[in-house]
Amino acid sequence: MSFLLRCPNCGERSVYEFRFGGENTERPALDAPAADWIAYRFHRVNAAGVQDEWWYHRSGCRQWLQAKRNTISNEVLETYLPGEKRS
Amino acid sequence: MKIRFNGKEIDAQPGDSIASALYRSGQRIFSRSFKYHRPRGLLCCSGKCPNCMMNVDGTPNIRTCVTPAREGMEIKHQNAYPSLDTDWLSLTQRFDWLMPVGWYYKTFTRPAVWHAAEPWIRKAAGLGELLPVKSAEYEHSWMHATTAVIGGGASGIAAALAATGESVVLVDDQPELGGTRRYRKDQAYRESIAKLESLPDVKILRNSYCFGLYEGNLLGVLQAHPHAGAAERLVHLRARRVVVATGAFETPLLFRNNDLPGVMLSSAVQRLYRLHGIVAGSRAAIVGDAARIQEIEADLAEAGVSIVARVPPGEVIEAVGSSSVTAIRARSGTFSCDCIVVCGPLVPDAGLAAQGGAKLVWSEARGAFRPENLPANISVVGSASGEGLSASTRPLHTDKRTFVCICSDVSSQDLSDGVSEGFDQIETLKRYTTATMGPCQGRMCQLNAIGICARDSGRSVSETGVTTSRPPNPSVTLGALAGARHHPIRRTPMHHAHEELGAVWMDMGDWKRPRYYRTAASSVERDRVQEEYWAVRKGVGVIDVSTLGKLEVRGADAGWLLDKTYTHRFSDLRPGRARYALMCDESGVILDDGTISRLSEDRYFVTTTTGNLDFVNQSLQRNAIGAGWDVQITNVTGGYGAMNIAGPKAREVLAKLTPCDLATSAFPYMACVENAVAGVPAILLRIGFVGETGWEIHCPAESAEHVWREILEAGRAAAIQPFGVEAQRLLRLEKRHVIIGVDTDALTNPYEAGMSWTTKLDKPDFIGKAELSRAVNSSPRESLVGFILPGSEVPADGSAIVSAGRPAGRVTSSRYSPLRQAVIGLAWVSPAKAQEGADIQIRVNGTVATASVTMQAFYDPDGARLRQ
Repeated sequence: MSFLLRCPNCGERSVYEFRFGGENTERPALDAPAADWIAYRFHRVNAAGVQDEWWYHRSGCRQWLQAKRNTISNEVLETYLPGEKRS
Repeated sequence: MKIRFNGKEIDAQPGDSIASALYRSGQRIFSRSFKYHRPRGLLCCSGKCPNCMMNVDGTPNIRTCVTPAREGMEIKHQNAYPSLDTDWLSLTQRFDWLMPVGWYYKTFTRPAVWHAAEPWIRKAAGLGELLPVKSAEYEHSWMHATTAVIGGGASGIAAALAATGESVVLVDDQPELGGTRRYRKDQAYRESIAKLESLPDVKILRNSYCFGLYEGNLLGVLQAHPHAGAAERLVHLRARRVVVATGAFETPLLFRNNDLPGVMLSSAVQRLYRLHGIVAGSRAAIVGDAARIQEIEADLAEAGVSIVARVPPGEVIEAVGSSSVTAIRARSGTFSCDCIVVCGPLVPDAGLAAQGGAKLVWSEARGAFRPENLPANISVVGSASGEGLSASTRPLHTDKRTFVCICSDVSSQDLSDGVSEGFDQIETLKRYTTATMGPCQGRMCQLNAIGICARDSGRSVSETGVTTSRPPNPSVTLGALAGARHHPIRRTPMHHAHEELGAVWMDMGDWKRPRYYRTAASSVERDRVQEEYWAVRKGVGVIDVSTLGKLEVRGADAGWLLDKTYTHRFSDLRPGRARYALMCDESGVILDDGTISRLSEDRYFVTTTTGNLDFVNQSLQRNAIGAGWDVQITNVTGGYGAMNIAGPKAREVLAKLTPCDLATSAFPYMACVENAVAGVPAILLRIGFVGETGWEIHCPAESAEHVWREILEAGRAAAIQPFGVEAQRLLRLEKRHVIIGVDTDALTNPYEAGMSWTTKLDKPDFIGKAELSRAVNSSPRESLVGFILPGSEVPADGSAIVSAGRPAGRVTSSRYSPLRQAVIGLAWVSPAKAQEGADIQIRVNGTVATASVTMQAFYDPDGARLRQ
């Protein structure tokens, strides 16, 4: 694994500067059924294709960011700071 | 220049490679083959084949034909005993009938047979000796370029010149640029090298080979001997655009004894002659298609070599000779000679392009696999793309003494047998026969192996295809991959003071912490820990806790963020107060603990365990996302030094150094104050991990050593003792304070750990609430309890609790308590045993001892001393 990620703050950097934060998930409501919480905690889509995910720029600006990445080719289609929702 | 070969001094000339110097001195056998110990001589002279690998200055498997000779080099041969010229193990070839293709799979079908044979096989086969690595000789560097050109031949130079205006890195595996032009008569190419060298944006890496093209156009480049202090340097080269200009290399032709010393590729003969002034032999036979042999014929004539025969590839029967060539036998007759010059097929060196995603497609006209479907940012130029190549005759001679794979002695017969045994796909044939899997990684054998596979399986070469190219190729030393060993060390601001005090160090992550302190009177750990311990219990002690993670969380909504992240409530914490903080994940599993102090309305001071700082910091940041809160998180760990002064006399000592009123009425337990200590602004927290009246003092790191020394000075009359981690662990264990990750594991929730008081389920929400709301009503799997074990034998951490001979729990921490004069500890047991006075059985050093459970702290269970 040696692809490049574009940090919205720092620019294009080696993926080794980042910590992977997992695919995006939707936290259930507190009173949601136990099954929903189990799914939230343990189930992952693990998409073969484009996935929205969290990254943390550990060796850079030390900020969380969002990436849209193709998990097959490791092509990073888009990165942005959380809250700056784009496409 | 002198080099030493097997202890003998040999002359080398400027520009010589090790192999050329040896060849000039008369050496003809350079190695012994892997399996049959057949003599092998120079074949390619370009670092592509395995024949010249030797041990150079202690490093095995050095390709001596591309390693420049340097004064004083110590060169030793490999894999031959007693010498290269006489190798007793060459007898093995008499028994080759015992070693059919797939010999390992067919012979070693039972573990016992393999275990008996393995040591002998390891001795007999193999590639040099593994020696301890001197890490100082390896280094890593990182480079970035707009264009990386791999290969410094004519097309590589042209590509680099065309790419100027941007930053260019040109990588070439030879000492000089020029590629195949270097050993051609026409030397006009030198002008373009001079031009390239004059360009400021072009960086040239010589003696450097690219061993892999990885994701994101990352190139692994190994630079040999970059400077006097380094044997190898691994360059991580990242480029926007990669130009593969690795050229084509010549490969052997198949005939009986085609591996005899004296059988050389035509390009090798040319290299020896034009680069080193060495004439390969005096009487040469040339094997090759008529169109291919003209150039070498002219060169040989110029060198004064008499040409005894010109033989088309299909007409060679065998090379004759025992340790070197004495004749060639062809259909047209037998010709006495000392050198057979082979004009073999040219193979595009397109492995890098394939690694980059190109597909290698067979071209009948070129007689080669050519890279196609290249990704946008990778291009292939020159003969690496197949350009300028034309098909040549490749006879596929089937014979037990015709070697296809010279790395592992795989004959054309072996490959044919492999196909007939059912391994008729090139990928399975490769794994079964080990052809293409040796040090040359298929460079010398792949084309012939594919040819045989295609012929015997009745498929075309195109259908047969080519094996997958994977990095690293050529091979890379493990030392170069590992690089120099640089372990970061973090030292606390008081490090040198500890050193003076006789600290015995222990590692905690990257940090160095005093485990205990030696004194003039004693350096025995057990004695010293007890002395430090008693100082804290009866007098006063001080410990450096600078390694704690420290975060400042500021803003109007800081309390909400802490409420969400930790199980306890912090939004209602009054300024000037501190609270124990426990962090869980969404499964309710305990992740970290620390203290949170509210210094002012909008300013919290958070401590974390030493190893979890980054994780906690990142969790806080992530939990703040999307909430729209006014909150900032700052890591102040390195900015503050910290120490904990504790013991019945802590107050009287600290009072000498601070204007702060330390009386319990003014500064109660779990309070925090910002005030001066020894003239330095500090945060004082009245907390008690060790169970005594005490203060944790956080002050600017640059003043921490001063504060530390002032405390020791002020405590002199009270016989203050600095104490280390070991005494602290004993002190905290007596208080039953858990260490997260030691006494808890990846499944522990606060209820099981006896810390239900830390979870505030009435908060609107926090990480872990959903699960902990369920856990609070369900019966725990197991419970963390204290135990007292009579005697002084301490069970090791992790010792089993047993019940009726079956495992029923485990010890997490245990120490001898000087206070209780018994062994105390923490253990996970079934909830049924979690009651005062219950008996549990602990396995201690092979015997089972009975301990008594306690649910209280071993020392000061009511916390009266803490609050004094």
